[in-house]
Amino acid sequence: MFDVFFVQQLVNGLSIGLIYALMAIGFTLIFGVLNVVNFAHGEVYMIGAFAGLLAITQLAPPLFAVILVALAFGALAGFGLERIAFRPFRRFRDEASLKSKAIREATLLSSLAVSIIVRELAEKIFGSNMQSIPQEYLLLKPIEIGPLSFANGQFLIFGLSIVMLGGLQWLLKHTRVGLSIRAVANNPMGAAYVGINTERTIIATFVIGSTLGAIAGLIVGLYQGAIFPAMGFAPGVKAFVAMVMGGLSSIGGAVVCALILGMAEAITTSFFAQGWGDLVAYLFLVITLVFFPTGLFGGGRERV
Amino acid sequence: MMRFKQCKTLLTTVCLVALSCGASAQNKTVAIGYQAPLSGENAQYGTVFRNSATLAVDEFNKSGRLPGVTIQLKFEDSKSDAKEGVNIARKFSDDASIVGVIGDFNSTVSMAAGQVYAQTKVPQLSQTASHPDYVKISEYQFRNINTQAYEGPLIAKWAFDSGAKKVAVIAIQNDWGQSAAGNFVQGFKALGGTVTETEFFNPGTRDFRSILTKIARSQPDAIFVGAFYEDGSAFLQQKVQMGLKQPVFATSSLYEKKLLELAGPAANGVYLTSTFVVESTEPHVAAFVKNYEARYNGKPQQFAAQAYDATNIMLNAIVAAGGANATRAKVRDALAATKDFPGVTGTTSFDPATREPIKLLSKLQVQDGKFVSVK
Repeated sequence: MFDVFFVQQLVNGLSIGLIYALMAIGFTLIFGVLNVVNFAHGEVYMIGAFAGLLAITQLAPPLFAVILVALAFGALAGFGLERIAFRPFRRFRDEASLKSKAIREATLLSSLAVSIIVRELAEKIFGSNMQSIPQEYLLLKPIEIGPLSFANGQFLIFGLSIVMLGGLQWLLKHTRVGLSIRAVANNPMGAAYVGINTERTIIATFVIGSTLGAIAGLIVGLYQGAIFPAMGFAPGVKAFVAMVMGGLSSIGGAVVCALILGMAEAITTSFFAQGWGDLVAYLFLVITLVFFPTGLFGGGRERV
Repeated sequence: MMRFKQCKTLLTTVCLVALSCGASAQNKTVAIGYQAPLSGENAQYGTVFRNSATLAVDEFNKSGRLPGVTIQLKFEDSKSDAKEGVNIARKFSDDASIVGVIGDFNSTVSMAAGQVYAQTKVPQLSQTASHPDYVKISEYQFRNINTQAYEGPLIAKWAFDSGAKKVAVIAIQNDWGQSAAGNFVQGFKALGGTVTETEFFNPGTRDFRSILTKIARSQPDAIFVGAFYEDGSAFLQQKVQMGLKQPVFATSSLYEKKLLELAGPAANGVYLTSTFVVESTEPHVAAFVKNYEARYNGKPQQFAAQAYDATNIMLNAIVAAGGANATRAKVRDALAATKDFPGVTGTTSFDPATREPIKLLSKLQVQDGKFVSVK
């Protein structure tokens, strides 16, 4: 059982996990600041892919420029999303409202509503089927290293997740925006009292998180050869699981857990059947929540 | 005074309505219920069904084959969800104007709805449900597609004769996929071949590399794929990327132009079967292709043709059942008596006892990005 095919299976698992990780990074960033799940992150991911695809079919620019287009649309989508689904629920500044569960749940539902509306709109406009992608843009070129086969997309995804994770850490630790994001995440009222513009910080968080989501959507779409309106749903669920397992606000933790999920799926397929892969992934979630209620990397936060 | 005037207007309206009712008694409306996924993940198939069925009914109403009767299509969106399918079945059953139902898309939803139609005694004709148990629900279930019990062994023999002695099987994890894989495996083993690996993938899977690695390890001579074209094209692309060289044999569900667009050069070499060949020169097939293309800006594919034939078979049955006087029971009997129906998916008969359709299959191969007939 432990032959070269098993090593190939680990490579497969790593690449599945990295896809979940790419999505989980932006997802966790937004949760960390607002303490609210952003269900529309999967649609931002989809918007990134469609924006990139439109750029490809209309202008056929080099891949680097396509990524810039996805980036721009992701930023725009994040800004709009915050405006429509999140800001209206922050009208009440008193402490009772800030701690109210009802407000938190209303925000969660409004992001879910936006997600459904955007997805259905995309289905109306583009149809629910997969879009044809010009072959030369697909990130599926085989690269063989010894007996193992890789795709060029896998290297790009690997590089991208390192850049995103590293860049985000740098941003959060060394820039003014990043520092204010961390301050707001830590204590929004305290941040406001020391003169941080919390509104602007929250917008910045959405823009940054959605940009990351949109780029992830484009690259994964080109790597899987599958761009369609519901594409954000399945990885969104896995990214959510990774975020919860990782302790909700730990970006590094979410990435590690995403990799665990991907590996679990590939190895389960190898030893049992693909149908059991999801079961094993969710089993990990249950075990984590039972033994580490605050997640693997959650630290001393309140119970999930 | 005002009130009196209003009363008068009301009276006139009532008279007018009564008059128009009297007029429409001459022009009776008979309805066909059509349930299909018009939104959600399988909406692309449902939309195609709606196009084809509307085309068939419009042609029929124009042809004047039933003077004084207008056939109406009533669509409901099942979202490929068995629960929705059952709700629609109840709704259609309660609608007295409906004499027969076409749909649903996949076997799972068709069978769930079929349980209701069996109780309420409404004839149901699915254009695509190919699970063996579907027609066994009751004598009210019909289908216009070859079952995997027929297609599976045929593909198995084709693969075996082409020299493959060991095959790996991959199919979608649903009722249809299981029967596709099961029938192929049974047929292939009966010929003396070995099946190295049978793998099912969850609907919505985009990454087939783990399964491909498992298949590569089992070292088959050929791979059998039971999937729809979207999953099929992702599978074919990743198969090429992973460096697997084995030939692929597939069910008619991959006969779709989109497969060639999505998979690109990765589709080349795939062997598959089909009942409908869009390039056919037979006059009635060519006419259907032309009319469909003129109206919907795109060539019809296998599923469009299945739905077009299913609608016409239903219309034929309504004519045979007495047109304006058709009842659900008479339509059922007429459907069961369908013989040598000249459809665009080949000449179709329903076996009177099992209600299974009998259709011929053509063999195709993808060569240079085109479907080509092969022996």
